[in-house]
Amino acid sequence: MPRLNQKRYEQRLMVAMSIYIAVLLLVLPVVRTVTNIPLKGVLAVAPAVPMLYVIWLMAQRIRDSDELEQRMHLVALGVATAVVAACSLVGGFLATAQVLPIDGSILIWVFPLMMFCYGATRWWIARRYGSDMSCDGAMPTHWRLSIVAAMMTVVGIFAYLRHSAIDAGIFIGMGAGLAVSALFKLATHLRHRRMAGQDGDDK
Amino acid sequence: MNNHVRELRGEQGWSQADLAERLDVSRQTVNAIETGKYDPSLPLAFKIAALFDRSIESIFVPGEE
Repeated sequence: MPRLNQKRYEQRLMVAMSIYIAVLLLVLPVVRTVTNIPLKGVLAVAPAVPMLYVIWLMAQRIRDSDELEQRMHLVALGVATAVVAACSLVGGFLATAQVLPIDGSILIWVFPLMMFCYGATRWWIARRYGSDMSCDGAMPTHWRLSIVAAMMTVVGIFAYLRHSAIDAGIFIGMGAGLAVSALFKLATHLRHRRMAGQDGDDK
Repeated sequence: MNNHVRELRGEQGWSQADLAERLDVSRQTVNAIETGKYDPSLPLAFKIAALFDRSIESIFVPGEE
């Protein structure tokens, strides 16, 4: 079986994430109105299917990584697990003491928080080893950020259309933040390219 | 640990990507090894030594931690 390289991994990830968002937007408004319990259950877990595929993709990616990359994945996953475990424990005790009104729907944020911590830690470790996070053949960071920003904005617009102002604010705000980060990364990328070009001319 | 991987690679006229392909690792890993930011495992060190037809101790030398 061919190794899953970074380019193929990112292509599959983008497809899975697009399906996830599409399913989320199509199913979420319907799920509350459905009265049939088995159908309601199936619709409720439908968005989890592409995310399970993403987890499987990540496992494949880690399996196919070299020893340094595996070390970075392992440390990043360890940090992410520790952060999520600590947050869950603190949140659980606060909810038990009825200091924080937390219900079961908060569990939906466990995976995104874990992925955020994992991504941030991997980025930090990769910098320590003198490289950026992108592997050979990987999509440039500004493109990745732009795509995620677009996805967030789409979700935000749908939330706005569903008159969910808080969700719309969160997602459009995150989309705008990521778009600014993408512009910043693009500017850095262009500056590095220009400097590399000047170095080449000097030689 | 210090190493002579960059010099040996230069002698062969290989880029980091070429060496990475021959060792079946990423270019970032080759870069981290060359800059001394990462010490390879024993199997990878043996692979590097075999590729350059040298002994491990002639490529990797203990340095200050």
